Amino acid sequence: MPILDQGYQHWNGTLAGHAGRCLVITRRGVGVQFKNRWVQWILLAALAPALVLAGFLVVWGLFEQKSSLLTPFLFLVQGLPPELRAGPRGFRSTFWTLAFDQFFQIQLFFSMILVLLVGPELISQDLRFNAMPLYFSRPVRRIDYFLGKFGVIAAYLGGVTILPTMLAYALGIGFSLDPSTLGDTWRVLLGSLVYGVIVVLSAGTLMLAISSLSRNSRHVAAVWLGLWILSNVGANVLEQTIERPWCPLVSYTGNLNRIREALLDTRSARAQVRGLFQAGERMGMDAAGSTGFGRRGRRGGLADASAHPPLSPASPRPGMVGGAVPASGAGEEPGSGYPWPWSALVLLGLGGGSVWTLSTRVRSLDQLR
Amino acid sequence: MLIELQGVTKTYGKITALDGLSVSLSEGAIGLLGPNGAGKTTLIRSLMGLITLDAGEGKVLGLDIRKRSLDIRQRIGFVPEDECLFPGLVGVEFVAYAGELVGMRPRDAMQRAHEVLDYVGLGEARYRRVESYSTGMKQRLKIASAIVHDPQLLVLDEPTNGMDPAGRSEVLELSRDLSRSKGMSLLVSSHLLPDVESVCDHVVVLGRGRLLAQGSIQQLKAAHDQEVEVRVRGDQRAFADRLARRGIAAELVDDHLVVRLPQELGTRVLWELAVEAGEQVRALRPRRSTLEEVFLKAVAEPS
Repeated sequence: MPILDQGYQHWNGTLAGHAGRCLVITRRGVGVQFKNRWVQWILLAALAPALVLAGFLVVWGLFEQKSSLLTPFLFLVQGLPPELRAGPRGFRSTFWTLAFDQFFQIQLFFSMILVLLVGPELISQDLRFNAMPLYFSRPVRRIDYFLGKFGVIAAYLGGVTILPTMLAYALGIGFSLDPSTLGDTWRVLLGSLVYGVIVVLSAGTLMLAISSLSRNSRHVAAVWLGLWILSNVGANVLEQTIERPWCPLVSYTGNLNRIREALLDTRSARAQVRGLFQAGERMGMDAAGSTGFGRRGRRGGLADASAHPPLSPASPRPGMVGGAVPASGAGEEPGSGYPWPWSALVLLGLGGGSVWTLSTRVRSLDQLR
Repeated sequence: MLIELQGVTKTYGKITALDGLSVSLSEGAIGLLGPNGAGKTTLIRSLMGLITLDAGEGKVLGLDIRKRSLDIRQRIGFVPEDECLFPGLVGVEFVAYAGELVGMRPRDAMQRAHEVLDYVGLGEARYRRVESYSTGMKQRLKIASAIVHDPQLLVLDEPTNGMDPAGRSEVLELSRDLSRSKGMSLLVSSHLLPDVESVCDHVVVLGRGRLLAQGSIQQLKAAHDQEVEVRVRGDQRAFADRLARRGIAAELVDDHLVVRLPQELGTRVLWELAVEAGEQVRALRPRRSTLEEVFLKAVAEPS
């Protein structure tokens, strides 16, 4: 069609203010990345743990109510300690904590994969195709640009961490039919949300910073993979060789795991469950009355067990990445691991470095050639 | 008034990019001329509120360049010199995205993107990935994305740089049409004087960050009172010698003579001398400066 055939018509519409400019960048970025079939598959796969979490909370609610719906599955609860069978409400927050912890442990893997798929192109391709003059010659500030690009990662990560957490929690509350559930478990929700936000903030800024370092998105992806996997391997190797408490700090996901443990207080929860099951075993033996243990009777119950939790043979070595690593501090198992603020400092340092990298690598138009 | 600047100064370290520049420009198509390092790019960035000025003040479309830079950028369109793209998009998405970035609603932006792509002649390539466009197509795509929100002022930075003659002609035709038929004001920064001359009716000549010349092209190219261009049928050089013997200075330029007539003489003397020499006068017209001469004169004056 020859030029000007259609003519030029003036446009009389109204333009929006400058406040939500970053949302435009986010929306477009999310749309572009969603065309990637791998992203779609990973999102689908990440649904499974969310469904399992929601399913567990629903079943737990029914279990608390001793619902007849569970009658066909009663054989499954026969092996549970009598204390738990008698009063599941007393262990509500413990099991919710462990459920959310397990959920996040799996979702962290999917989150890392999603960042790997979604993040590398965000800034590197803009640098490669020199898109900055197009952005900054429009009413877009650097902060809008960063927030917009960050929003793309946040949307995907939030979609597999924060959103399912909230939905599953709401479902769990709904099926518990007990207003006190909210009071028992709000810390779990709060801890989960804070952890989700930390994952989004940390992974988002880190990936954007790496993406701004190269015009080749494959290089960016390689760096991210290295940071994720090699840092884990490195942490494990250091742990095996020099056996210092700070070794797990080398692992990026190890630090995120440590923060999660602190936020959800999963060590206490694990210790409680261990104590509960061991107390159950003792009671079983008492009932059998075949050993000297039977004369001791039940010692202390749950509170006692959590105060002095016996370590099970399957417990990971102290300081192992992602394991139930006790740390010194109130309410935690003493004498092993490292304090969670160390991990927080590592993540803060990475975040600060990322922000600095972004501010120097992505320059505004006045500083461009 | 389209653009008003008063005493605008911008330095980068020891380099003064704009040196107390004051200029007022009304609506229309304005060419921005100047040698490398004259301050053209800094001026454009100042107008868009992208840089912090050291001194001076200014308004673009009545908006303060210091305080309302985002509003200014919302009302103008900018076509950068370099090849630049939003990657991963097809043509129509590219233009719609550009529209959304200035504040258009997604639906409006998409509808308008189709219109302007038709206008710039990219209608049939609208669903192709922009990375696959040729240089000329990318330039037209940039123009489409700059006019998607119907700006009051369109800033084109070296719009025909690196283009083949056909592509260059298309871009100039588009620019002319926007300015003359659609009433859009243009600010065209270019090294190619014929391009500026074919699109613009005003020029601003910058040098070392200062204003060297400004005015309408017609005005700057005003006829010289006592200079004429003469072409005779026979030997131009012989005719120039004959003029010199009568005390009339003549210079051979290309295929004609530039004759500087004394104050007391009119063109009649040329006809008389031609008759004497048995020559035919094939062309006789008052001499006008070319834009190139205007530019070179303006640039040479400060030194």
